[in-house]
Amino acid sequence: MARDYYEVLGVGRDASAEDIQRAYRKLARKYHPDVDRSPGAEDRFKEINEAYHVLSDPDRRRQYDEPPRAERGFAGTPAEEFDFEDLLGGMFGGGRGRGPGVFMPGADQEAELQLTVEQAYRGGKRTLTLTGPAGQRTYEVNIPPGVVDGQRIRLAGQGGRGRGNAPEGDLYLVVRITPDRRFRLKGKDIYVDLPVSAWEAVLGAEVPVRTPGGQATVKLPPGSSSGRRLRLRGQGMPSRPSPGDLYAEVKIMVPAKPSPRERELFEELAKVSDFDPRRR
Amino acid sequence: MSIYPLALPRRLSVDRVAQASGVHPQLIVRFIELGLVDVQRDSMGRLWLDPDSVARVARVQRLHFGLSLNYAAIGLVLDLLDRIDELERRERSWI
Repeated sequence: MARDYYEVLGVGRDASAEDIQRAYRKLARKYHPDVDRSPGAEDRFKEINEAYHVLSDPDRRRQYDEPPRAERGFAGTPAEEFDFEDLLGGMFGGGRGRGPGVFMPGADQEAELQLTVEQAYRGGKRTLTLTGPAGQRTYEVNIPPGVVDGQRIRLAGQGGRGRGNAPEGDLYLVVRITPDRRFRLKGKDIYVDLPVSAWEAVLGAEVPVRTPGGQATVKLPPGSSSGRRLRLRGQGMPSRPSPGDLYAEVKIMVPAKPSPRERELFEELAKVSDFDPRRR
Repeated sequence: MSIYPLALPRRLSVDRVAQASGVHPQLIVRFIELGLVDVQRDSMGRLWLDPDSVARVARVQRLHFGLSLNYAAIGLVLDLLDRIDELERRERSWI
């Protein structure tokens, strides 16, 4: 059984015809499948039209308001008595004397596909469940490696239902990549922090760095200060014809609580060194 | 000598679009006049429409019957919806 029609339109049972009309117009504008492209909107729009169809007609409304009689043989409420396709026919032109042959392809729909940077990097199969015109539906989507934020994946014929023999619309999955502090995306390039010790920064080192695809090693040249960007060519997001790059940004870290020996060495360094980072 | 394949232009006649959309050809002509669908005229003066006109006509019909909008107003609605799409896309790409 459908939801209560008054509830659907968000009006009280004592609402006037004008109130009902106003509520209906507002909701219809909001949930029209060409305005709201989420897969649930089409059902919502139909529900709103169904409720309005009943509540806008004084006779039908009275019938709906009457509690179902206790007599046997009268099953269900009047709401179940009308043919919904009939109503759609009326709504989409059939009832206006345009004759049969209602033919209207379904609307395209859009849903978001939330991915982590790693998932976008690797691609692969992903299942997602959406509430569409035919209720809950599970899709297994093949995501190509290296999708970028905003890219759309088209599922042909999975959108809004068509009227008559008209085809269904398409469902577009819009890729949304969850921002990640570890892997910052700029187009198909990836930026990561490269924490290094002061001595590594001075002497140079081979430093492991995490990438969305796993671990990589970056060669830190001697004398690298914070902010220096080391490029790992082709280690960014996979893409054709050429993949993006990965940039490791040097970030010098120091021990918050140095051991007495470390402290001693740093004190000695401070005495011996004439390096002044503020002198230009 | 090279041989080039013949490529048929991807375009539809008014009648073809009307047939595919399930509406009267006169209504398609009306949509053209209102600028709801794009059209090109060939050297013979015939009108040709894009294959995606069928989807466009369906959108116009859904808005017309679903929201009781008149066809002239739908031109504005389509423009505004396209603009919102464009703005949302641009906003996303700045993040």
